Amino acid sequence: MNAFDEIKALRKDISKTIGCFPLYPPLELFHSMGFTPFVFWDLRHFINSFNTADKHLQAYACSVSRRLVEFICSTSDDIIDVFFMYNACDTLRNLPEIINCCLQGKVNKPRIFKMHIPMAPEEQTKTNNYLSGRITALIRELEKSFGVAFSPERFRQSIALYRKMRLLNEKLEKMVAQDIISYNLFSLITQKGLFAKIENHIEELESIAAHLSSSLKNEFDFPSASVIISGILTPPAALIDALENYKIRIVGNDIATQRRSYAYTPGDTGDPCLYYRNFYRHHFPCPTLLYTGDQRLAAIKNLIYNTRARGFIFIGEKFCEYEYFEIPYLEKKLREMGVFTLHLEISADDDSGANYMTRLEAFAELLKS
Amino acid sequence: MADLPNNNTQHHRRRKSTAGKRLSEIMQNDYVRLHQKAENGAFVVWIAIVVPAELFSGFENVVYAVPESHAAMSAGKGVGPLQCEKAENNGYSPDLCSYARIDLGTSFDGGKDSPTFGLPKPHLLISDNNNCSLLVKWFDVYHREWGIPHFILDVPFCYETQKEEDLHYILSQYQDIIKTIESMSGQKFDYYRFIEAVQNSHEALSHWKRFLSAAAHKPSGITVFDSFVQMAPFLTSRGTKELAEHYRLLADETLENVSRGIFPVPNEKYRLLWDNIAPWHQLNKMSAHLAELNTNIVAASYTYCMGSIEGEIDLYNYDGIDPLRYLARTQNFSVCPHGLELRFQSMKKSIASMEIDGVIFASNRSCKVYSLMQMDLLKRTTDNLGVPAVMIDIDHADARKYTEENVFLRVEALLELIDAKRNALARAHRNEG
Repeated sequence: MNAFDEIKALRKDISKTIGCFPLYPPLELFHSMGFTPFVFWDLRHFINSFNTADKHLQAYACSVSRRLVEFICSTSDDIIDVFFMYNACDTLRNLPEIINCCLQGKVNKPRIFKMHIPMAPEEQTKTNNYLSGRITALIRELEKSFGVAFSPERFRQSIALYRKMRLLNEKLEKMVAQDIISYNLFSLITQKGLFAKIENHIEELESIAAHLSSSLKNEFDFPSASVIISGILTPPAALIDALENYKIRIVGNDIATQRRSYAYTPGDTGDPCLYYRNFYRHHFPCPTLLYTGDQRLAAIKNLIYNTRARGFIFIGEKFCEYEYFEIPYLEKKLREMGVFTLHLEISADDDSGANYMTRLEAFAELLKS
Repeated sequence: MADLPNNNTQHHRRRKSTAGKRLSEIMQNDYVRLHQKAENGAFVVWIAIVVPAELFSGFENVVYAVPESHAAMSAGKGVGPLQCEKAENNGYSPDLCSYARIDLGTSFDGGKDSPTFGLPKPHLLISDNNNCSLLVKWFDVYHREWGIPHFILDVPFCYETQKEEDLHYILSQYQDIIKTIESMSGQKFDYYRFIEAVQNSHEALSHWKRFLSAAAHKPSGITVFDSFVQMAPFLTSRGTKELAEHYRLLADETLENVSRGIFPVPNEKYRLLWDNIAPWHQLNKMSAHLAELNTNIVAASYTYCMGSIEGEIDLYNYDGIDPLRYLARTQNFSVCPHGLELRFQSMKKSIASMEIDGVIFASNRSCKVYSLMQMDLLKRTTDNLGVPAVMIDIDHADARKYTEENVFLRVEALLELIDAKRNALARAHRNEG
């Protein structure tokens, strides 16, 4: 079943859907107000042509944006009631209006809500009031447009659900590190979670965790040939298959839809302004959250320290400038630590892995040496 | 069919104008002064182009450098690819903005091959994320490599007219910039010096608008290439009396030429609008080639945005009361922080006031923020306004990514579209008659 079918199937049971991009929207808030949020990211499994997107975006836009435009604009079904987007990179910030152009003439054209998340470091600028103002305005706009009401109690319940989901994902990540489940299966589950009702996603995670928990060891057997993978998208399945064939264990990840998304949930509160101030301020570092730049190396070092990974693979998304600017410095620092690094670049049509298999093989040999 | 090249245009014979000579002097002086003051202990700030440099005039001994402007100059002087390669050899992707690659290449190589001997090392970096947010990442490289503090001016993107809460947020950050410099440099901010700088900038911009108004004449009193190069001192001399005086003389000289019947493309047959940053490495060649086709790019979204606010092309007036508020209100003056609707709005005004025949959308691989809405803008220009338009591929500073043949094939196709439209209109008139 593809993403369209999945959302369409869900549509029968749910009244309001909200399509979000990029990756770190206020999901708990939307959920608490009766929306089912979907995160439109990592659409590689569903979108493999760019017929519509190519009429709106040049080919030097990243595959994330091209797939997103293709996905949203090529369906005639009314699967989304409202879109929500916040500021990320230079490409994504243009998308709300481009998508608006794509949807011209559509009868039930979804509204597009936009929000600016402060990107200044807290030690430089006090951003709390500004962010609180944006969250409050968003709540008012949703209430006014959809006749819904914010409830602190429901918000607490939604936080609890999302916390549970994130902790379960961490548990599955450990299972990958211990070779109990494959990384490809884990990726499939996290990716499906982006398009699923949170309750269904938790159910699936719980079922796997329950089934395999007995195999999980408290003491970690640090494998000698182990890597951490990093990128804004999960790597193509062919790349992971190759790593697994070379007996290279993925002991951790710095992937945007995975660790960067599930690493942190703030404490319980009925105050959404307070919650999101914490949520964004203490978020796991990601190049799209500009103020986290200074913490990124420390977070990666910490991952390496905890997993004792010998190698680090940057899965660069072609044309992702944010990642490109950080990789040379990170590579230099990791090498200084004695960590082997590999930088691969994946473009829109690179799923077969033909372009990088030789380099991957050489890297695997290096790790095992 | 577009006209065959006309080898008798006056374009090639045009000598450097007084304003052109003065521009060279100003730019040379700006860089010499920058290096000298830095050497003598001034506090050096590197800024992104839309960071309001008038703030630094409030300090007695703070100087600023603009890496983007230096990169454009390097590209214009022909060293763009050389500096880009240096950055690429240090692991920076050739897909990154060529300004950034030129700047990184220059800095990593200690200013070697730079037309200005590079830039003096900064004490503080100030980037912003509204013009293009990759600037934050670019400045972060120096922040990490050199351990220099980096101030991120966080400006909400402008999909519609600036909101009051966004303006206040920007204002609060200006105060933070002032406090940061005070604490780092030990210098006190002088509000009166700052007020004077804002007045100078506003005066300069009012003359800039007068200069651009020469394009409304038929034939146009300027080409876009004149306005591209004359932008430079606004970036390096912002807030100074010299800038205001230079733009006053530039406007006077240009309008005087118009009144005397001196035009850069006297046989102007096609009046075009340019959308994107200038291809700095091609200015001379491109302007000469266009003049041969009796074609003049008379305006550009890149230059008419200076001094205006989002969606407008006219001067945004400073009330003389609150200079910080004026700067915050014009923080989005550059075209890149504007959403598609606003950009189309100002483009429509320019097309009408300058009687534009066709639009060149320069799809610029190095500037996604400028380029990635152009396909829809092009469609609107042709469908809604009935103005012919084409898209060409350029890179603003990396000459390796530019092919003259492909560009001019498209430009000539545009001229044919304009001719076809004119012929159709003439036929319609005849039929009506």
